[in-house]
Amino acid sequence: MNELPKEGKGPIKEAWELFKESSLGKIGLLILCLFALMALFSFVPPLIDPMYHPMKGVDPSISVSSPPSLRHWLGTDFMGRDILSQLLAGARVAFLVGISSAFMSIILGTFLGMIAGYWGRVIDTILMRLADIIMVLPTLLVILVLAALFKGLSIWSIVIIIAIFRWPGVSRVIRAQTLSLKNRPFVEAAKAVGAGHMRILFRHLLPNVVPLAFLYMTFRVTSAIVIEAALAFLGFGDPTTVSWGMMLQWVWKTGHMFKAPYWLLPPGICISLITLSFYMIGRAMEQVLDPRLRRDWEG
Amino acid sequence: MSLWRFVLRRIFQVGISFFIILSLLFFLLRLSPGDPYSKYIDSDMTAQEIELIRTQMGLDKPLWWQYLIYLANFVKGDMGISFYYGKPVGEVIRGKVLNTILLFTTSVIFSALVGIFLGRIAAWRHGSFVDSFLTFSSLVTHTLFLPWLGLLLIWLFGYKFELFPLSSMYTPEIWIDPEISFIRKLFDVLHHMFLPFLTLFLLHFGSYLLLMRNTMIGVLREDYILTAKAKGLKDKDIINKHAVPNASLPVITSVGLSLAFSINGGALTETVFSWPGLGRELVVAVSQNDYPLAQAAFLLIAIVVLVANVLVDLLYAYLDPRIRYE
Repeated sequence: MNELPKEGKGPIKEAWELFKESSLGKIGLLILCLFALMALFSFVPPLIDPMYHPMKGVDPSISVSSPPSLRHWLGTDFMGRDILSQLLAGARVAFLVGISSAFMSIILGTFLGMIAGYWGRVIDTILMRLADIIMVLPTLLVILVLAALFKGLSIWSIVIIIAIFRWPGVSRVIRAQTLSLKNRPFVEAAKAVGAGHMRILFRHLLPNVVPLAFLYMTFRVTSAIVIEAALAFLGFGDPTTVSWGMMLQWVWKTGHMFKAPYWLLPPGICISLITLSFYMIGRAMEQVLDPRLRRDWEG
Repeated sequence: MSLWRFVLRRIFQVGISFFIILSLLFFLLRLSPGDPYSKYIDSDMTAQEIELIRTQMGLDKPLWWQYLIYLANFVKGDMGISFYYGKPVGEVIRGKVLNTILLFTTSVIFSALVGIFLGRIAAWRHGSFVDSFLTFSSLVTHTLFLPWLGLLLIWLFGYKFELFPLSSMYTPEIWIDPEISFIRKLFDVLHHMFLPFLTLFLLHFGSYLLLMRNTMIGVLREDYILTAKAKGLKDKDIINKHAVPNASLPVITSVGLSLAFSINGGALTETVFSWPGLGRELVVAVSQNDYPLAQAAFLLIAIVVLVANVLVDLLYAYLDPRIRYE
């Protein structure tokens, strides 16, 4: 990204101005900031008292699920662990999974899309056919089968696998963009002065497709968070991390869903809200990039 | 290109895709660290006994030979024996396919229809309160976490208000009794189906609504709409005869593209509601390390997705003749 030309600052500022006009985008950003705060504060409860540790901390006076109290603002889970500190830790995991997995799939998708678009022919056909196949497959179920084969996936392997299965959407868009760019005069000029393929790809084409790739990143973040949550909910998450999906699995599997609404509600609300906020930001960014939609939204 | 050639080409492409999925699954299964057949081997077995089992399973043959046997068995419909049920996998799964298709197709078709219908209203009343309300509520329902929504609905409508059953697909007592009429039995299934259907519907209609709204707003600006207005056509005719058919095309494409997403949701819904379908079977098989069953369930789901994709493409080609000439 440091390859972005200097004058790139102008458009970014302009984009921000446009983004600010969308109330949807602003609300989304506000919610996201709240979640970021939650992730930051997730380090605090265990410092106050070891019993607030989201995974290992058990309140010695409580060993069953209890409703909200002064000691435990959101109540405790079936082992007497504090739900609020689990919820805060879950925010950290969601950001980690969402952003790192989205980032990886964007890099992979951009790279493969550029290669397919730039070289064309056989490479293009193979990559795009592969993209078609992966796009048709239900990602969650594929990862489920992989989770069964490679027992006990760690959170990082889950992140990487999600990234591997989420590149095709990005790469198609980047490929189309590369196709339209590669015959432009500036590429011809670069060729004429003797620039190699790598130089053309990375110095001339990449800066032009990166903004588009980042638009797709917000949507990839949501899908990564949702897939991890669903995987954890089904019991195939990383058993050493407390994610919101994991919390829901505990409510469900320990049969507390009818007894403990104070435990059932928060993790689900968090997953849904963080997805919504990224989604809103994504739509606001779409308006920035697609002027036709922009007019629509202003009515 | 005629419609038939288009159909044949799509079927050929899908066949290749499926063959690749089939092959990848085989090699993944062989590459995985845990030996899938270790379930059959006890620690107190002698080396000869283990060898015998390996021979029976065909594990002593070279990999390419195993691969050919695997393909041949698949063609014959022999997918092995489920570890858990101790029955041939085909038998276990046969009954589940229809259950999945029943729940899945009704919810996808219904949510697409409702999405198109409401998206049409939102686009026509573009900028009004109705529009903002529809747009925002579909954004919210579309981003709800599906298993949680399912649990919430069970808690609310199944447990609190006791309006619907908590899980499963039918009440065994009603279905065993030969005295009870078929209509009553059908109603029993629909009664069980309502909550899982509602879950999938709530999650999906929003994306169709938003897409329909956005494309239709674009379509309404086209010159042919202006022409239609100039001809003095009624608003109703302009929407129904000129705008909706054109705006529906991208929505139909997106039904195809979002099938994988819906299948994920379908598996989660089936699991939450204990709906006896393929997705739930896959989840259960995976948690019990029942490889033959998991493999077969996954392949069948892949077939369902691929066939549904072809059907959507055909519908598209039928509705939009341009696509056939590409």
